[in-house]
Amino acid sequence: MQLLENYLKAVADGLPPDEREDILRELSEDIRSEMDEKAAEVQRPLSEAEQREILRRHGNPLLLAARYRHDNRTLSLGRELIGPALFPFYVRVLSFNLGLTFVIIGSIFTALIVAGQRVSVGAVAWNVLLQLVIQFSVVTLIFSLIQKHMSKNPDRWDLGAPRGVHLDLGYAKLGKNVRAGGRDSAWVSRFESISILVASAVALVWLRGVQLDPFLLFGPAASFLKLAPVWSQVIPVIAVLTFLEMARASINFVRPDWMRFRNIVQLLLGAGALVLILFVLNARSWVIPGEGAGTEILRRTVQIVNTAFLCVLVAAVAINAVQLVTRINRLRRAGRKQASASSVDAVC
Amino acid sequence: MAPGTNHHELLENLRLELRRGSLVLAVLFALRKEQYGYTLRKTLAEQGMAIDEGTLYPLLRRLESQGLLASEWREEDKRNKRFYRLSPDGKVILKQLLSEWQRISSSLNGML
Repeated sequence: MQLLENYLKAVADGLPPDEREDILRELSEDIRSEMDEKAAEVQRPLSEAEQREILRRHGNPLLLAARYRHDNRTLSLGRELIGPALFPFYVRVLSFNLGLTFVIIGSIFTALIVAGQRVSVGAVAWNVLLQLVIQFSVVTLIFSLIQKHMSKNPDRWDLGAPRGVHLDLGYAKLGKNVRAGGRDSAWVSRFESISILVASAVALVWLRGVQLDPFLLFGPAASFLKLAPVWSQVIPVIAVLTFLEMARASINFVRPDWMRFRNIVQLLLGAGALVLILFVLNARSWVIPGEGAGTEILRRTVQIVNTAFLCVLVAAVAINAVQLVTRINRLRRAGRKQASASSVDAVC
Repeated sequence: MAPGTNHHELLENLRLELRRGSLVLAVLFALRKEQYGYTLRKTLAEQGMAIDEGTLYPLLRRLESQGLLASEWREEDKRNKRFYRLSPDGKVILKQLLSEWQRISSSLNGML
């Protein structure tokens, strides 16, 4: 029933959270009844191809999930750019990106104000608007391309190719076992992969933008603040790590059943990120005064912004270290599970 | 015909529109007798009103939230299934909808 489980997990991604469990139980029961009836008809357990055919008839899991939602929100500019099936994911990615950007910008402006720099409301508003336009444009463009592809090919979806499909039509209560995008799930949600691809693409555009025009990061303070030389060393490495994560997400989009691959790559990339942050932390100075700066108030501003950077970097080290330990544990747990499954198979 | 809309697409949209209202009537009518989702889907298909579960289950949930249906989870054949039946309010509405349907049907028959 691995295929059915995969299908239900894909549906779960797009269901309203408060009704998710109930809908999945009912949907699971419906599909199981159909599979049981078919198995009784052919007087043998269904083959993988037959199960796939039944699931295919039930339709694209994202479109199916969208029918259960009451909001049916879309994004239309003249014509529909993002339909109800993709809209919740679009909002999730956009909120995450904007939230992260505003936390960074907010920290810098706070540091400037604390240092006694004059920050006008207009400057803050202009910076916020700029971030909003950039993030909105890039995320919307990427999601509208995905939407276009989905609308053109509504039947082009796959459940992956899980290893060892179990064909027993046992009566396990699947509803209880279904975890939407659970951390120990045997399958990487395709929307997790898409969200990572979109968020990473936006991050790369933003990173390049900051390199070309520090106004994107510092706002009006860009006239007297500069990024320290350490950033020119690490930004290319950040870009490489981001590209690798995008490559990983693309591979998992095609092969959502490659869980071990995801766990190992994320572990390696996490370790790389931790080393990188420690390297940056070691620089001790992350912002330097720009040209023409020399006043006492400016030196204080640089000091406060550097203190803010220090806090952010220390927090990043802590978060990364915890994530790394969690990922190692997850990998060990998955290894143990696989080993016990192999020993059960060997006994049988 | 609107530019960019082909004949087949237009017909399909109109057919779906025509079916949508009738489906509610068919579902309410079929649920005079308690059934669970899968058997309901089969009953409707056997009567020539095939409906995919992506349409049926959201419709059942909507009708239940409107108070026209009642449901309960119960075990049958060692499996938990959700059984639906017409509620007292649903019975009243069904009766009114059926007479409306008969009125429309006879009007149309007279016109065609």
